[in-house]
Amino acid sequence: MFEVALKALFLLLYATFVGFIFMGIIRKVSARIHRRVGPPLYQPILDTIKLLSKKSNITHGLIYDFGIIYALGATILALFFIPIGSVSILRAYGDLILITFLLEIPMLGIMFAAMSSGNPWAGLGAQRALLTLLAIQVPLGFAIVALAEFYGTFSTYQIVMAQQVSGWSITHVSLLLAAIAYDIVLQAMFGKEPFDIMIAPGEISLGPMVEFGGKHMGILQIQHAIALFAETLFFSNIFLGGAVVTIFASPVLNTIASLGILLIKQIAVLMVAIFIGNIFPRFTIDQAAKFYWKWPTIIAALGAVLASL
Amino acid sequence: MDWKLWEPLIEFARKRSLWIVSFCTGCGGIEMPPLMTSRYDLERFGMMPNPAPRMADLFLITGYVTPKTLKRIIITYEMQPDPKYVIAHGSCTINGGIYWDAYNAIKRLDAYIPVDVYIAGCMPRPESVMEGINKMMEMIENGTADSWKRYKENYEWYKKNQDELFGEGWREREAKRWIPWIMDDLKRVEKEREKND
Ligand code: SF4
Repeated sequence: MFEVALKALFLLLYATFVGFIFMGIIRKVSARIHRRVGPPLYQPILDTIKLLSKKSNITHGLIYDFGIIYALGATILALFFIPIGSVSILRAYGDLILITFLLEIPMLGIMFAAMSSGNPWAGLGAQRALLTLLAIQVPLGFAIVALAEFYGTFSTYQIVMAQQVSGWSITHVSLLLAAIAYDIVLQAMFGKEPFDIMIAPGEISLGPMVEFGGKHMGILQIQHAIALFAETLFFSNIFLGGAVVTIFASPVLNTIASLGILLIKQIAVLMVAIFIGNIFPRFTIDQAAKFYWKWPTIIAALGAVLASL
Repeated sequence: MDWKLWEPLIEFARKRSLWIVSFCTGCGGIEMPPLMTSRYDLERFGMMPNPAPRMADLFLITGYVTPKTLKRIIITYEMQPDPKYVIAHGSCTINGGIYWDAYNAIKRLDAYIPVDVYIAGCMPRPESVMEGINKMMEMIENGTADSWKRYKENYEWYKKNQDELFGEGWREREAKRWIPWIMDDLKRVEKEREKND
């Protein structure tokens, strides 16, 4: 029991730290793409400290506070279900559908808080976010179906183990199609450029984020860091082979090696998202809904059909 | 928990992550995009333009201020959470600049909201804006950037000046200003519909 709590704490600290560095990488790489110097890698940590140390804070009632905590809690729960090499806690229950569901719950928490603030921009942003959430379900569902059909299981850990034997998922044609569809969906889950319609800086102020200031925004930054970590981790687990290293004699070395391999894969996933995000302008919400119900859906459905043959 | 111990770290974070609320007034607004883009990249210091006042720390007033804009500036300033800093930019904010005899420009911004750093020039080059921001960072570090405290302590004085300019109860009047116009419009639309029916 004590050991599990210790593991959970380690996982949480690791995920938060790496998530913040990921946010720094996003800003740094974007800056380099624009030929700028960009902020230092630890910039998001400073931002969070500053936001948490604000002296005055506004609140719009109970739901406004609760929504933020709810989002953070759901993200942490999602993180615990995803296998991280050999460290994870609840990986035996790490069901594909459960994890995809839990990764979308934080958005609902943010929506609760945004809607209860009564700001019209926040309401507009919440509507857009919910429509995006609705649109990405279709390709996401097909991608999950393709995976489950191919491996005959819903357990993420078993999928990782199966990939140790039969090679990465993306080396099979059917799952490559599913991975492409999932990667397009990932762009909306990160809130990166072609599909950052729910936040839309400049277009609708900041969308749902417009009323959050001070400590609420600080907690949301932490939530965003963990979510970034969890989403990239989930993708590299189910499509890029995860990492279970057993070549070293000592379990500590094995753990460090598998964390390192996972980190490289996560950064690769992140880089694709940054490059796409920096060269495409934003879609309008109707274009995004149409897009998601067309190309990614077709690709993922094709993958699902191929996987079941 | 003793927060005194963490104070240097917090001050460092405040100094290195000033988020600017993008409120571009006057001609100086044109000087903001060059500051953020690749030549004079302000993101090196962790600064970010931000469309939402609730998240912002730094308020750059970039030029002459008309009473109509000043109402919005005051409301935006009051929306920001507490350690918040103001940089006034351009000669117009100091003494009216070339609009010294205009009936519709504010001569002294300092009488309505507190200002930490002034940058003179018409308009200042990005280098001088960066110099001003550098000064701002120094002031945050040694704790002399206290305009938000001054606004709280001397609120009566600021409120008196604001009310003198706009008249008592200007916030409500400003909010209700459009209602008669919208009602007239509604009536007109209804009348037209009746005529068509
Ligand atoms: S100081 Fe000069 S550039 Fe700046 S707002 Fe006034 S007139 Fe325009």
